[in-house]
Amino acid sequence: PAPICFLGLLLPPLNPAAPISPAEPISQAYSLALYMQKNTSTLLQTYLQYQGSPFSDPGFSAPELQLSSLPPAAVSFKTWHALEDGERLNRAQGAFLALTQHLQLVGDDQNDLNPGSPILLAQLGAARLRAQGLLGNMAAIMAALGLPVPPEEDTLGVVPFGASAFERKCRGYVVTREYGHWTDRAVRDLALLKAKYPA
Amino acid sequence: MMSIYLFWRQPSQMVDKKRMKTSDFRWLLSKFVLLYLMVQVTGALRDLKCTTNNLKVWDCSWKAGFESVIDEVCIEDRSYSCHQVEKTNIKIPALPPGDHVMTVKSSHSPANSLSKFILNEKNVSFIPDTPEILSFSADFPTSTLSLEWNDKGSAFPYHVNVTWEIKILRTERRELIKLETYNTNLNGKDRVHQWSWASDLPLECATHYVSIRCYIDYLHFSGHKEWSDWSQMKKIPWSPNSQTKVFPQDKVVLVGSDIIFCCISQSKVLVAQIGSTLCPLIHLDEKNVAIKIRNISVSENSGTNVIFTTDDNVYGTVIFAGYPPDIPQKLNCETHDLKEIVCTWNPGRPTGLVGPRNTNYTLFESFSRKYVTFKRAETFINESYQLFFQILPDQEIYNFTLHAQNPLGKSESAQLVNIMERVSPHTPTSLKVKDINSTAVILSWHLPGNFAQINLLCQIEINKANSKQELQNATIKGAKNADYLIDVNKLNPYTKYTFRIRCSAETFWKWSKWSNAKQHLTKEAIPSKGPDIWREWSSDGRNLVIYWKPLSINDANGKILSYNVSCSSHEETQFLSEVLDPQHKAELPLSKRDCIISVVAKNSAGSSPPSKIPTIEIPNDDLKVEEVVGIGKKILLSWHHNPNMTCDYVIKWCNSSRSEHCLMDWKKVSSNSTETIIESDQFRSGIRYHFFLYGCRNQGYQLLRSIIGYIEELAPIVAPNFTVEDTSSDSILVKWEDIPVEELRGFLRGYLFYFQKGEKDTSKMRGLEPGRSDIKIKNITDISQKTLRIADLQGKTSYRLVLQAYTDGGVGPKKSMFVVTKENSVGLIIAILIPVAVAVIVGVVTSILCYRKREWIKETFYPDIPNPENCKALQFQKSVCEGSNALKTLEMNPCTPNNVEVLETRAAPKIEDTEIISPVAERPEEGSNTEPENHVVVSYCPPIIEEEIPNPVVDEAGGTSQVIYIDVQSMYQPQAKPEEEQDIDPVVGPGYKPQMRLPINSTLEETAAEDDIDKTAGYRPQANVNTWNLVSPDSPRSTDSNSEVVSFGSPCSINSRQFLIPPKDEDSPKSNGAGWSFTNFFQNKPND
Repeated sequence: PAPICFLGLLLPPLNPAAPISPAEPISQAYSLALYMQKNTSTLLQTYLQYQGSPFSDPGFSAPELQLSSLPPAAVSFKTWHALEDGERLNRAQGAFLALTQHLQLVGDDQNDLNPGSPILLAQLGAARLRAQGLLGNMAAIMAALGLPVPPEEDTLGVVPFGASAFERKCRGYVVTREYGHWTDRAVRDLALLKAKYPA
Repeated sequence: MMSIYLFWRQPSQMVDKKRMKTSDFRWLLSKFVLLYLMVQVTGALRDLKCTTNNLKVWDCSWKAGFESVIDEVCIEDRSYSCHQVEKTNIKIPALPPGDHVMTVKSSHSPANSLSKFILNEKNVSFIPDTPEILSFSADFPTSTLSLEWNDKGSAFPYHVNVTWEIKILRTERRELIKLETYNTNLNGKDRVHQWSWASDLPLECATHYVSIRCYIDYLHFSGHKEWSDWSQMKKIPWSPNSQTKVFPQDKVVLVGSDIIFCCISQSKVLVAQIGSTLCPLIHLDEKNVAIKIRNISVSENSGTNVIFTTDDNVYGTVIFAGYPPDIPQKLNCETHDLKEIVCTWNPGRPTGLVGPRNTNYTLFESFSRKYVTFKRAETFINESYQLFFQILPDQEIYNFTLHAQNPLGKSESAQLVNIMERVSPHTPTSLKVKDINSTAVILSWHLPGNFAQINLLCQIEINKANSKQELQNATIKGAKNADYLIDVNKLNPYTKYTFRIRCSAETFWKWSKWSNAKQHLTKEAIPSKGPDIWREWSSDGRNLVIYWKPLSINDANGKILSYNVSCSSHEETQFLSEVLDPQHKAELPLSKRDCIISVVAKNSAGSSPPSKIPTIEIPNDDLKVEEVVGIGKKILLSWHHNPNMTCDYVIKWCNSSRSEHCLMDWKKVSSNSTETIIESDQFRSGIRYHFFLYGCRNQGYQLLRSIIGYIEELAPIVAPNFTVEDTSSDSILVKWEDIPVEELRGFLRGYLFYFQKGEKDTSKMRGLEPGRSDIKIKNITDISQKTLRIADLQGKTSYRLVLQAYTDGGVGPKKSMFVVTKENSVGLIIAILIPVAVAVIVGVVTSILCYRKREWIKETFYPDIPNPENCKALQFQKSVCEGSNALKTLEMNPCTPNNVEVLETRAAPKIEDTEIISPVAERPEEGSNTEPENHVVVSYCPPIIEEEIPNPVVDEAGGTSQVIYIDVQSMYQPQAKPEEEQDIDPVVGPGYKPQMRLPINSTLEETAAEDDIDKTAGYRPQANVNTWNLVSPDSPRSTDSNSEVVSFGSPCSINSRQFLIPPKDEDSPKSNGAGWSFTNFFQNKPND
């Protein structure tokens, strides 16, 4: 049922309607972000579980691992709070754009590493669809707010296709982890917007 | 003094004879001489040393003791040759074997010495040139080092064995990790040799060095053969600039192998782990480390992670440990449709590798050189893989090889098949059934596949309800994707069949699966025969009842709708009736008694042949009823052959309790048989059936025999009713009735009659065990007998009579009755008279005897009674009457004087007043005529037993005491039974002494009996009385034995019947004992 739901959510941005009240797309995006938030830890746990020890060991965490192609979600509260709405949405938009591409990459990687694990592959696919849905919602918000929608760009750039299995596993870990962080941040972003633009 | 001794030695004869003969090596002959070179240097020259690196030129050098210039070196060879030299060495061509003298002249030496050396090949060292490494390279992905060098074999134009030694050193510390020996030979040409070695440590992690030397083993050289020098080291540097930090990356290894991982790090590696297991670090150059994993276990799908953790980062790699592909198992190639070949196999042991590392399968056909590759996306069924290979036209034989390959290895499995013999058709579809007639159908089905070249073998399964399934095989010409037809014959009409079909090729390989089952009901046919019929005349003889049995399913061939009954005689056939199916009889008034009834059964297909039966019944007067009993639920009837019976025999039977014209069933038997077995589900045990055997003549049926019988006999369920017709004093006449047939349940075989003495309520009712002696049994086997007289009974006695009937099936229940025989008066009279007469005679005789012997009786039983005057008992009368009160005076008032009557005294008994002795004299006026020794004081108080004492005597006695003797014998008995004395009053005349009086009477006794007195005031046991203690003269009482005061120990009761006569002396000891118990018992009585 989840993909169908996202398709529904994807519709508004595709609809070249006249500027509408930002409250509705904000509310939709907020609902989706909340829904995504519920599943991010499951995705991360499922992902780690399939990568073998020590990834699958309980309490695994490697905060030092980062991906240069993926903007980190961590930001100081002051900086975040001082951001303009447009800038805040821009950053989230950029992050989720990168996340969708990375999730696709991770899905491909896992298809090689764990071809017999449909659960993991399905969850990665679902996460990617949700990220895309959120992207669409954000575009709708920006349109409603009269902000310029940033063009889709190739954030991934040249992918090291010869990445080793270990690199792929780490990459997937960072992506699923950052997906969770960015979702958390998006919930905060949208909550702020929601307060600003009540229905 | 310096002197040089030079001498030759004869060459030793260690010469290879064969080689000596070969002219090619003739020049070598000389060198096969062992030479001994002894150089003794005197003066400046010493240490001559000769080496060679190519066996052609010797390089001899020596040491000069001082600065000297050698002018000339001469060698004695075949030709003496001298060389001018300026150094301390000289290169000379190799000398032939044997000693050669080398003379070195040193012209400038002070001594101008002449040094002589003896040169011999034996003293020459053969040291090959140092090998030169052409290249030393590394293949990093495989961690393989490759070395190339030139053997420079052209220097040795002959065959020589060479041993190379290669050493591999690792890290800057140059740790030797491999020393390899490599043998080749030289054959006169320069050759480049290659050697490679796979390092366990990834080459990226440490610098690897290599060096090589050689040893030429030239057999014909007799001198020292030595290793060359090590070559210059070549190195493969580790690659610090590589992006990857951990090696090897993504390697696939065999489970159980050992593997080393290394990590290139700029910072210190803190921890290394495989999975979650920490590993000890092996330090390499700089900060690089390695870990060694031994016996690695199979990885999970995503591989095993190896992680190195530094201060600031994590580096890792993944290793995939698995197995090479197993040999494909159960490879089987066959075709379902002759269009494509399906090869299936089982991959066998899992490799543990997935994704790109999974096993690749390729099916290769060697004749056509075509192959198909298994793609992982293709589905496989039940862990079985399959590949499809298109059948090639004009090729029947296929040689398949299935190659399996993964990064760890490859395997294969092969199969050679003739595909025409490996046809396993698809499941037939669209099975249809069409009727041909009532016994044949056509089956049709569809079978996809190109079978035009072969014949198909199909199997039809025919299932009929309640019948064994039948399989029919049929061979059909194959076709391409065709529908096939086949006839199925010999079916039963109007029967439900279920058909299934499966096919294979005629050259059988495998059956296809069974097609879906198809049910079909065959068409009806006319009934194959007429029903089995019988006829009975109705009881009034006017109607004929025609019975028939329904046709069996096999005979009916359809659903029977009706039966037509007709009657045919000579002239005509008359249709009588049409009866619809469920009814199987017809009752018809018959105008003509003589006709032949015929019955036909009809179904939708037509009528059955008629069944015929004549109506006439031929009488038979010569009939008697026979009996038969079945065996095992069956009844066997047999009869003699009767040639008159031409058509058949019919046995009909019915329950005999029914009316005469009953009919349960019948059975027809052919005319030539003489016996038959009759069975029926309706037969029950214990029921009487009547069987009639009819024989068939031309005109009609004649009853031949009439039989009654049982399938199984049972015991009667009731007892016969019986009554007593007559009784006398010694006999009973019993009469009983028949038991009804239904309750008899078998043929009556007799009665059992029991009788025994017994009352109705006695316990003898319990049983009638035949073994009991008092039960008499009569077995009456004459079943016509209905009465029985039982004789020899006792008069006026109750008898129990029991009657039961029995059959061969057992004994029935009992019926019993009680009968009392009449009184026998004569016997009674006799029984009374005889005892009376006997009693009279005994009485008379006794009287006579008593009369004759009366004197003796008197003496024995009635001796003289002593004078009661001497009895002191009177003195205690008061005290006795007062109970335990210690009164010393005798009060007269409550006492009634008793009389003592002396019937007879032997020595003039005189009753004296006893008041002298006893102050409590009852009767002072009473005579004291008795002598003191014979005094008997009898005091009765109160005289309760007056009825025993004749009152007139008491009255008349007046002033005299009387003692009444009654039944002296019985008087003694109580002594033996003290308890009976409880009712006897304590005061008994003789010998009784109340304790109150004793101190006065006898002081001696007082002391002796003090205890007794204390215990019971007022009572003194008789044991203390002297008269009872005569046997013990030593006792204190014995001193008083002769005293005047004697009181007899006999207990005195107020209403006593006690003897008042002193017992005889010889009896006294015995009485004494009895007296003790008696008195002791009695003493407590008043206190109660």
